[in-house]
Amino acid sequence: MLTLFNKRSKEGLRISMLRKLSLFATLSRSELRVVDSLLHERRYLKGEIVFDEGEEGQALYAIISGRVLVCRQGEPETGRIAELEAGVAFGELALLDNAPRSAQTRAAQDCVLASLSRSDFESLLDTHAVVASKIALQLARQFGRQLRERVGGGAP
Amino acid sequence: MTPNEPPPAMTPAEVGDESPGPALSSGPLVWAATIVFTTLLLALLGRVLWLVVPSLLAIIVYYALFPLVRRLTLAGVQRPTAAAVVAGVVFVGASIAMVPVVSWIAAHAGAGQELLYRYLDAGRMLVERTMTMLDARFEFLARMNFHGQIAMRLAEFGDTYLQKHAGSLLLGAAVWLPSLLLAPFFAFFFLRDGKRFLKFVGGAVPNAYFERTLDMVERVHTTARAYIQGMLKLTAIDTAFLGLGLWALGVPGAPVLGLLAAVLAWVPFVGPIIAGIIVVLVTATDLPHDPDIVYAVIVLLACVRLLDDFVFMPLTVGRSLRMHPLPTVLLIFIGGAVAGIPGLILALPLAAVVMVVAGTIGGIVDNPRLRARHAFAKRLHTQRVTADLTP
Repeated sequence: MLTLFNKRSKEGLRISMLRKLSLFATLSRSELRVVDSLLHERRYLKGEIVFDEGEEGQALYAIISGRVLVCRQGEPETGRIAELEAGVAFGELALLDNAPRSAQTRAAQDCVLASLSRSDFESLLDTHAVVASKIALQLARQFGRQLRERVGGGAP
Repeated sequence: MTPNEPPPAMTPAEVGDESPGPALSSGPLVWAATIVFTTLLLALLGRVLWLVVPSLLAIIVYYALFPLVRRLTLAGVQRPTAAAVVAGVVFVGASIAMVPVVSWIAAHAGAGQELLYRYLDAGRMLVERTMTMLDARFEFLARMNFHGQIAMRLAEFGDTYLQKHAGSLLLGAAVWLPSLLLAPFFAFFFLRDGKRFLKFVGGAVPNAYFERTLDMVERVHTTARAYIQGMLKLTAIDTAFLGLGLWALGVPGAPVLGLLAAVLAWVPFVGPIIAGIIVVLVTATDLPHDPDIVYAVIVLLACVRLLDDFVFMPLTVGRSLRMHPLPTVLLIFIGGAVAGIPGLILALPLAAVVMVVAGTIGGIVDNPRLRARHAFAKRLHTQRVTADLTP
């Protein structure tokens, strides 16, 4: 009984943690459970490289905790592009258009990332189209936000 | 360097080399490694056949049922529930289908040996009749006493080999039966927990190699699925063609014989020959006064074999294994030599999986950037855990 309770509360914590990620913010509890079964949790130490510019991308990442630096290849100080905080997703471009990674990413702090592989995202499109479309909509919103920030600092 | 200093930066060679270098995925080293590792694996697997055979059957069942589980998850059912429902329905269906088979076996168990000799006698009579006909048509065969020699060999085979080995063959089959019961058990857990197992394995992979591993796992899965689902489709097509052909020729039990021959075709080289012998013996026994039908059955089997090799196989299994014919044949022979019939079946799909894994490892070994990233992460970790250990 106690084991079952522990298992449930552990699952509840994980689900509420996933809900804090912008990519999965609109998913219901049961949809989050489906996504959770596909996510890989990865831990990176400060300074560790998540992926390199030009690399073939196989997964997108969402930051569960910590911060991630996006920069030009091998230029973490001078080539800084952005610093992403917990809740934000990255690495999605390579996943959507099969293009090589457009920048290098490194852990700016010790961080925990949730990774969703290309094949799992594609199978989600087949098996759970509603879940996949909600994630895709969140991705589109994130792109829109990034685009507005780049071109005019928050124009409509 | 003090523990609080950042770890040494990656060397220019480590940072600058973004190119993956010459591709090894299809190079001679990867090919050689594939053949060597496949042979070693087959030799190793040959020692644990009691585990390999049910696992192989479980993988086949997994890929056969995977589309049904996927269809249920598509309808909104959770994966564990979908796996349980599909496994339950299939189990009940298989149990119902087994009832007439078990009752037939129970009814004929006592007369098993007698039945075997009846089929063999019919086969011997067919060969003798054919030899007599050939002697009458070709004089040089009669002068060589070809007929007499073949008859003597057949009699020897029937009297010595079969009498000596029939008991041990039956005993061997009885010993294998309990381990085969593991197959549905394994298949259910593959269907239910496959993803969880992959996550568990993925957790052990260093960060630098994580995405390559994801790619490798996906390619292994795609290759195995394409091969096994292709083979299942081929089995269905073969069953339909052989069943219809045998039924049109008036052979009793045509659908069962068609299915048996199609299933045996999973074993390269040996399988179709054994299937051919069984179908011909059954036809010769059930239609003893009509040798022309037996010859028509042989022609039908040969035609379906040719259709398989040149039409059906490219359409179903296709180039899922993407292997050159030379190492393919070599690997089949190696498989047979080191692990018997399971080795014959396993050689090609195993080689395809080993090739994907060897290609990925080759790609990592050949990529100094990935190795440097892994070394860098290890240095970071070492620095972290030794931070308070300096004098």
